[in-house]
Amino acid sequence: MNLAQFLTIFISAVFIYNVILSRFLGLCSFVAISKETKPALAMSMAVMFVTTMSSMITWFIYRFLLIPFDLTYLRTISFILVIATFVQFVEMVIRKISPPLYRSFGIYLPLITVNCAVLGVAVLNVDMFFVSSKAVAGSFYYSAFQGICVGLGYTLAMLLMSGIRERLDFCDVPKALKDFPLSFIIASIMSLAFMGFNGFRF
Amino acid sequence: MKKLAQEFLKGIIRENPTFVLVLGLCPTLAVSVSVINGIGMGIAATFVLLGSNIIIALIKNYIPQRIRIPCYIVVIATFVTIAEMTMKAFSPALDRALGIYVPLIVVNCVVLGRAEAYASKNSVANSFFDGLGMGIGFTLALILISALREFLGAGTLLGHPLIKGFEPAFVLGMPSGALLVIGLLLGFFNLLKKRKA
Amino acid sequence: MNKLIVSVSPHLHNKESISKIMWMVILSLIPAGAAGIYIFGIDALWVIILAVVSALATEALIQGFTKKKITIFNGSALLTGLLLGFNLPPKVPFWLPIVGSCFAIAIGKMIFGGLGQNIFNPALVGRVFLLASWPKYMTTFIQPMAAWGGYDAITYATPLALLKEGKLTEKIPYLDLFLGNRGGCIGEVCIVALLAGAIFLFIRGYLSWHIPITYILTTGIFTYVFGPKGLFTGDWLFHILSGGLILGAFFMATDYVTTPLTRKGQIIFGFGCGVLTAVIRLWGGYPEGVSYAILMMNAATPIIDRYTKTRIYGTR
Repeated sequence: MNLAQFLTIFISAVFIYNVILSRFLGLCSFVAISKETKPALAMSMAVMFVTTMSSMITWFIYRFLLIPFDLTYLRTISFILVIATFVQFVEMVIRKISPPLYRSFGIYLPLITVNCAVLGVAVLNVDMFFVSSKAVAGSFYYSAFQGICVGLGYTLAMLLMSGIRERLDFCDVPKALKDFPLSFIIASIMSLAFMGFNGFRF
Repeated sequence: MKKLAQEFLKGIIRENPTFVLVLGLCPTLAVSVSVINGIGMGIAATFVLLGSNIIIALIKNYIPQRIRIPCYIVVIATFVTIAEMTMKAFSPALDRALGIYVPLIVVNCVVLGRAEAYASKNSVANSFFDGLGMGIGFTLALILISALREFLGAGTLLGHPLIKGFEPAFVLGMPSGALLVIGLLLGFFNLLKKRKA
Repeated sequence: MNKLIVSVSPHLHNKESISKIMWMVILSLIPAGAAGIYIFGIDALWVIILAVVSALATEALIQGFTKKKITIFNGSALLTGLLLGFNLPPKVPFWLPIVGSCFAIAIGKMIFGGLGQNIFNPALVGRVFLLASWPKYMTTFIQPMAAWGGYDAITYATPLALLKEGKLTEKIPYLDLFLGNRGGCIGEVCIVALLAGAIFLFIRGYLSWHIPITYILTTGIFTYVFGPKGLFTGDWLFHILSGGLILGAFFMATDYVTTPLTRKGQIIFGFGCGVLTAVIRLWGGYPEGVSYAILMMNAATPIIDRYTKTRIYGTR
């Protein structure tokens, strides 16, 4: 377990292979919720919480259930079930603790289940930190940290995009390009800008 | 019979999942670097869509309302796992090329979306044709996008170089280029829609 | 939704002053352009001409097609084309500046609704698009002053490229860097000409010091602190005089439309650009980071504006 690996995970997940701008995971929610900053931030916090926790839970499941019983082909089903259950659990907790917060999330809270970023980072962790069905040293911490960083990358992209889109409300964008098309083109330019971090080495 | 044909055709143009419903974009953008990959993903997704639509239409009356989404996901995940394993066995190169986007078909908004919006409320026959139409519409969209990206970004189509001396714009093979192409295509189709109206 | 924008000054009062600013900036860039052509030969002149004409043509065509007023004479498209040309190597295929300018105007400016509404600096959008699409052409530079010596220009690496590859065996004289006797893009190499233009704009009141000085200072300090042989051993003067930093800091990071409105925001902007540029130069895969840094901070500008808004008079 070394510091350079953590640094690499951070730079990769947040900048170089940004979950939205480079891996395209979470695009649906990105384009749908990035219209205003407040909901965008709230969604990002929720997503970051879910990606972090599910990274940890799926690690345990993979390490202590799927590998020993030679059931690794069941990872897709088991991971998504874990995520769906966990999001349901989070939903119940939020509803109990803060009904206004629950109402403000609306339909988007259950939609985190199908946010590609969540399942994506779980599968990514397995691909990156398990070599031929054996856990790399420190893989739990790497997986958990990657979960956090993917959440951070999601938050960064959402924050920038919501600021831009709020600004664009005052501009006369060509009608055919309003909303979706323009959002994608803006994401394209942001993706170009983020390419500056390619080839990072400490 | 006419109704079945209608259910089939709507997925191709009028309610095309990619350009009209704007669903399932994650794999579309990631995979559309080359036409071969696009076709591969399209076939895998269509298979899953067909399977899940049929099964869900069959058991729709037995699923409790409150846990219907997790139930759909289990059904879909089963078909995805079958597709995954088949691909790994018969075409490991394609499996490697598509990477994490194969398991991600589980959370592909097109599949789950059709299950929730259609298969849970319609007959097996209708759901079959809906799934087929949507799957083919999805595949056609993938082919269009990847043809553009492969030709303009690498100068080839299906792996064959086309015009001598053509200098491709590499950016189109990158995420930025994918987002640009989808943005411009969506804008173009919006324009067509407005002209028609 | 409330469409009344309440913002801090500077407010531009009439259309004329937009034009005037554009033409003043174009005027201030002439020394750097002339120097670039002098150093790299007639090819450089062609690149600039192609970039400028394409920019004007693209804007005119799009505005004509969409039945909007044709505004190519307010200098804005010309400035974009000029800056894009300045950011290109002197010996590129003829179609490269054309494609770049078209992209810069169409995608960097027009899709946002035209002048004053773009989020990103259009010239940089064009440049980064070209860099990603045709890296070979965009990173092939030629020897300076070759035509004057009577020989064909050979391929020549830029100082920053040499540094990135670890091939900077002997120190390049600062005077060479300052005058432009080095490989690089047409408009970035002659520091003295660029500074002359910047000082002109500053004296006339068209340029404020906040962004450029913060930007350059931050990059200098950062590269000094994180030196190659340990802390505080960096060659900050080399970094300030190399690459596109001076061109970027004075002429592209200062574009009114794509940078924050308040002084505090501008300083944050300059600081962010400085850090990002230094980080990419020191540890990234590319030798130069100015274009990427400015574009990233352009993206952050709306958020910066949001959080550095001044109080509305009378409220808490």
